[in-house]
Amino acid sequence: MPYLIIDNRHIQVPRGTTVIDAAERLGIMIPRFCYLKVLGAVGACRMCAVMFEAGPVKGLQMSCMVQAADGMRVSTTHPEAVAFRRQIIEWLMINHPHDCPVCDEGGHCLLQDETISGGHSRRRYTGAKRTYPDQDLGPLVQHEMNRCIQCYRCVRFYQEYAGYRDLGVMGIASRIYYGRFSDGALESPFSGNLIDICPTGVYTDRPSRFLARRWDLQRADSICLHCSLGCNTVAGAHYRAVIRQESRENVRVNGSFICDRGRYGHAYANLAERPRQSRLDGEPAGWREAAREAAARLKRIAAAAGHSAIAVLGSARNSLETQIMLRYLSHHAQWRPPRFFVNGSEARSTAAVVARLDSRLAAGLPDLEEADFLLAVGVDPVNDAPMLALAMRQAARKGAKIVVLDPRPVELPFAFDLLSAGLGDLPAALAVLVKTAVSQAGTDGCEAQEKAFLAALPGRVPDEKLQGQLGQAGGWLAASRRPAIICGSAIAGPELAGLAADLALLLQTGKTPSRLFYLLPGPNAFGAGLLQRGSRYFPSLLQDIEKGGVRALLVVENDPFFRYPDQDRLHSALGKLELLMVLDYLPSRAARAAHIFLPGATVFEAGGSFINNCGLLQYAAPVHEGGIPLAQVSGGSHPPRAHAPAPGSEKCPSAYEALLFLANELAIRPPTMDASPWSLLPEDFPGQAELLAHPYPTDGLQLLPRLSEAESLQTPVNLPTSGPAAGALTVLRVEQTFGSEELSCYAEPLRQLAGPPLALLHGADADRAGVRDGEQLCFEIGGEKVELALQVTNRMAPGQLIIPHHYALGRAACRLPAVVAQAELRGLTGQDSPDLPQAITES
Amino acid sequence: MKVDKDKDEGGIINGLLGLAASYRVTLTQLFRKPLTESYPEYKRPLPARSRARIILTRDKAGGERCVACYLCSGVCPVSCISMQSAEREGGRRYAAWFRINFARCIYCGLCEEACPTLAIQLTPDFEHSCRHPLDFVAEKEDLLVDHGGKDGDYDFYHYAGVDCGEGKGTHEAELPPVDIKSNLP
Amino acid sequence: MDSTGLIILLAKLLIVLAALLTGAAYLVLVERKLLGRFQLRPGPNRVGPAGIWQPLADGIKLLLKEDTVPAGADRILFLLAPAVVAMVPLLLFAVIPLGPDLHLANRTIPLVISDLNVGLLYILALSSLSVYGVVLGGWASNSTFSLLGGLRGAAQMISYELAMGLSLVPIVMLAGSFSLVDIVAAQEGFPFLLVQPVSFVIFLISALAEAKRLPFDLPEAENELMAGYHTEYSGMRFALYFVGEYINMIVLGGLLAVFFLGGWHGPLLPGPLMLGLKIIPVPLLLIWTRATLPRLRYDQLMQFGWKVLVPVALVNIVVTGGLILWLES
Repeated sequence: MPYLIIDNRHIQVPRGTTVIDAAERLGIMIPRFCYLKVLGAVGACRMCAVMFEAGPVKGLQMSCMVQAADGMRVSTTHPEAVAFRRQIIEWLMINHPHDCPVCDEGGHCLLQDETISGGHSRRRYTGAKRTYPDQDLGPLVQHEMNRCIQCYRCVRFYQEYAGYRDLGVMGIASRIYYGRFSDGALESPFSGNLIDICPTGVYTDRPSRFLARRWDLQRADSICLHCSLGCNTVAGAHYRAVIRQESRENVRVNGSFICDRGRYGHAYANLAERPRQSRLDGEPAGWREAAREAAARLKRIAAAAGHSAIAVLGSARNSLETQIMLRYLSHHAQWRPPRFFVNGSEARSTAAVVARLDSRLAAGLPDLEEADFLLAVGVDPVNDAPMLALAMRQAARKGAKIVVLDPRPVELPFAFDLLSAGLGDLPAALAVLVKTAVSQAGTDGCEAQEKAFLAALPGRVPDEKLQGQLGQAGGWLAASRRPAIICGSAIAGPELAGLAADLALLLQTGKTPSRLFYLLPGPNAFGAGLLQRGSRYFPSLLQDIEKGGVRALLVVENDPFFRYPDQDRLHSALGKLELLMVLDYLPSRAARAAHIFLPGATVFEAGGSFINNCGLLQYAAPVHEGGIPLAQVSGGSHPPRAHAPAPGSEKCPSAYEALLFLANELAIRPPTMDASPWSLLPEDFPGQAELLAHPYPTDGLQLLPRLSEAESLQTPVNLPTSGPAAGALTVLRVEQTFGSEELSCYAEPLRQLAGPPLALLHGADADRAGVRDGEQLCFEIGGEKVELALQVTNRMAPGQLIIPHHYALGRAACRLPAVVAQAELRGLTGQDSPDLPQAITES
Repeated sequence: MKVDKDKDEGGIINGLLGLAASYRVTLTQLFRKPLTESYPEYKRPLPARSRARIILTRDKAGGERCVACYLCSGVCPVSCISMQSAEREGGRRYAAWFRINFARCIYCGLCEEACPTLAIQLTPDFEHSCRHPLDFVAEKEDLLVDHGGKDGDYDFYHYAGVDCGEGKGTHEAELPPVDIKSNLP
Repeated sequence: MDSTGLIILLAKLLIVLAALLTGAAYLVLVERKLLGRFQLRPGPNRVGPAGIWQPLADGIKLLLKEDTVPAGADRILFLLAPAVVAMVPLLLFAVIPLGPDLHLANRTIPLVISDLNVGLLYILALSSLSVYGVVLGGWASNSTFSLLGGLRGAAQMISYELAMGLSLVPIVMLAGSFSLVDIVAAQEGFPFLLVQPVSFVIFLISALAEAKRLPFDLPEAENELMAGYHTEYSGMRFALYFVGEYINMIVLGGLLAVFFLGGWHGPLLPGPLMLGLKIIPVPLLLIWTRATLPRLRYDQLMQFGWKVLVPVALVNIVVTGGLILWLES
């Protein structure tokens, strides 16, 4: 632990800390351009020069390049150092253009700040300035190379940290150029981070180009809702529109960066077609009027057909407050317990995850970065949750072995082994891999129960090639010291989630501190999983609706039509309802079909708490008051002239407030109206006592049940070893990085990047069906003909047809069995199975 | 003590004489002609830099000088300036709308000082009172004039180095764009 | 009293009231014009020729203004206080003799509204009453500025009331009566100014202080206390404070005329006009003073009241008494 003195202040830092970091710990911010803690030091910009007055190093040195050592005495304000830095910044500014007024970085520009704090207000250099051509880097990032100060941050992030190669550094001498070889969209789904890390305005945010200055933004700490990782962001709003999101550092979750889906996915909050008007039987009505009428109808239906004729559907994008309120409301009104997932498979997977993830196992993204063996099963990280891929890459950079077990042609920005297994084979393959590893490492430490469990695991998979790969990977796992299992829930069923937990436990008892990391279907799926206990799944509810047992359905921030496979059935079932009440902020199909519709507030207006995939409770603060974006009220011209209240400033109540109103109308009073939402928590909620002890809003609390040893290992039940009969295709509807997630698919730039949807088929299946790569396949989807281009690849598992949840398909109805039946996949789809494919199996 | 000293210096007589002197001074003022310039009858010519009604000027080519950089609204101590920046065809940044609430404006001139393009300028025209508060709200079309104001020759885009269609390296004191494919030293 | 007597009394009241109120209103205009000229400005010149209708415009404006009461104010006192200020100087005028008795159709009409035999005490009593308007207004406004103004008003009133009362003792001694009619009658030969110049000066200064005019306007010192006791007043209530002040200036002129300048006695002109002629220079002097002298410091004000005026007045009484005794003996 080196002990040093910086500016006459003493500090002890861990070995290996650089002097610039040590100074930062003291609150002394040494100027820097190229240095970024996560990217490390290169000493390129020479801005962080300080004077080493005593100790092992002497003289003017770059503080980012020198590690703290005992006996150092450092002065950051030494006249020589100050003069040096002053000169450096003047040199850096020689070629910098004079365009701050039209540069979006102006106002939060590091170069601007350092120039001014260096004491420069006038340029002494009067010669000609160097210029560069700019490139079109796609819809997310704007390029302006003239402003570059050659700090190398962008390339170091893009190539070293994120692992993409298409942006690099070119040229020599004074012609150093950062960009692509030719124009084109950046391939990395992390390209938006270039904007954050660039110390000046070379890369600026393109969707919010020329929209606002940083100092005018209403900014608040927010949470990304576009996958279950719960990355931290700072959202900025201007004139009632959310226009920019930046990453917020949280070392427990996302580190310093966020993916582009999270950065640019907020467009749904500003949509022109976003419903702002409450409707009663299709007619516009006042919010209170509609809500009162809803309460009256609910009372009538409860009186006529009993309380259980009313059901509630929440979602995995509800805030935890809303979910708690839903549960409280349906409990006290004696309605049916709330459901949160339309897809039964997702509901059961989440239930399994919530039941099995405990504090012994749970890993966060930073833990994955430290792992030396990562086994991802049923996960396509870049497409499911991009930041997971970034964390895995950091592990890979540190030398970890990475194995992905998945039917999809997974691509990742680092070296890994893809073991292609059909969807049905995933559990067995996982079991085989772990069994191999545990057997190799020896079972000496195992108890009898664990030995029995191990014995019950299958030892082989039918596919010989896969078996060989699994054996090899098992060897790596056996040799690893800090392995982690990453388990998806998007395509695989609940069996896989349970098995993953069992295997992680088995590995732990064997020898290694093995960790487990689940992905969940939605930003607050964990909360939904905790609160859905005791409720049955949506498909059973649908049956009850069809039979007339359920007369009223209250849908809160969900769109059953978005993901439910059988659209016709859903449509006719919902048509039978006496009351379909929808509360949402998206222009969804369910919202259009509702008898009573109440507009909702997004997380940017209402805020809310969300539990991420690791059970971490995080709070997103409201960013702005709500109301229609000024640009929409004014039609692009000047805003209306009026005294307050200005037109369009009416805010929509949040779902929580709306439900509270409903509860009051139904004479179900929460204990006190302004009490913390935590006081409404059911008692079986993990961490209830701890939550109640914290003031609301609560941020950063890990809500994981502590399971006893006894109930942890569960002997697997009949692991399937193969999918559907030979010749039939399993249809996988998969997530895409862009354009498939329910909220971010409204963002135009992300849609552009998503491109047209592609159907993926293995070469062998394509040969048997007689279709070729690039061929247009015609599917009938919800009465509409949809053409999908076919892509044939041998990197995926045979026997699967992979179709993305694409925005172009997402809003159309998707009867998947019908898709297969009517697909022009000649000879492959003969099987008329009564079961739906597993990816969409219902309970 | 100082007070006593004052008393000693003055004395009652001196004090009374002083009083009388001051009465005399004011009385003589009473019979002088007032200096006042009666405003509506006589309008004093104001210097060009006096600060009253705000205008948005144009450059020599007739383009709007304002690039909607938000510096004026940022510096305005009474927050009377609001605008929305946008991008014109060709890449020029401009104000989609620009509004000054003259009912709030204190004519301090900080906006003019902050303006990097010399677009916003204060003029000597101060006569714009009106009855209704909303009539004080001036939009861009009310503010925009067809001249360059105090420094008519300056054109920000000649110096800024941003490409608005005319190409990189074509502005004042700029080298032609670097050939990024060349590795010659 | 018979009905004719009542009508005559009412007529006298009306005339005096009208004269005083118009006088006060135009005194405002005169003050503004004169102050303007003292400062090389034209003064109000927009309403009518040379601003002649300015008082009317001011009156209408003040009447139409919103009558605000600050939050937390003592409502009743707040509303009453200005009335006290305006009423007191009006009541003072009741005992000022305007001229010799008028003989009209077998009727003797005294040109005074009420000839009290303790008229002088009445004047002293009422003038100290007027401080209530200031103190109550300052207290009821629920404002620090107002409260400080009210406090200063009270302190100043107490300090200068004494000197004022003492300065009048020699007059009573000379006239041998408290009645103002008798005092005026006693000056038929020569005005008391000639025999009591010291009293005159003391009375003038302390009356100036009681009228809260510069250089004694500490209760409303605008650069420290906004407007002192009437900071929170608006509209007609604010105007009442002003009316009170300006009537007070006229009444002050009346009292000076009665006590020192021989009242309505004088050559050539009839009594009331003579009195008017003697009154007018006093407000003008006050305006001139306002244009000339700066405000006193608070400690100077107190020192001057207690350490100069009161002793001098006491000495003056002793000397006058001694002289009278010596002359009589």
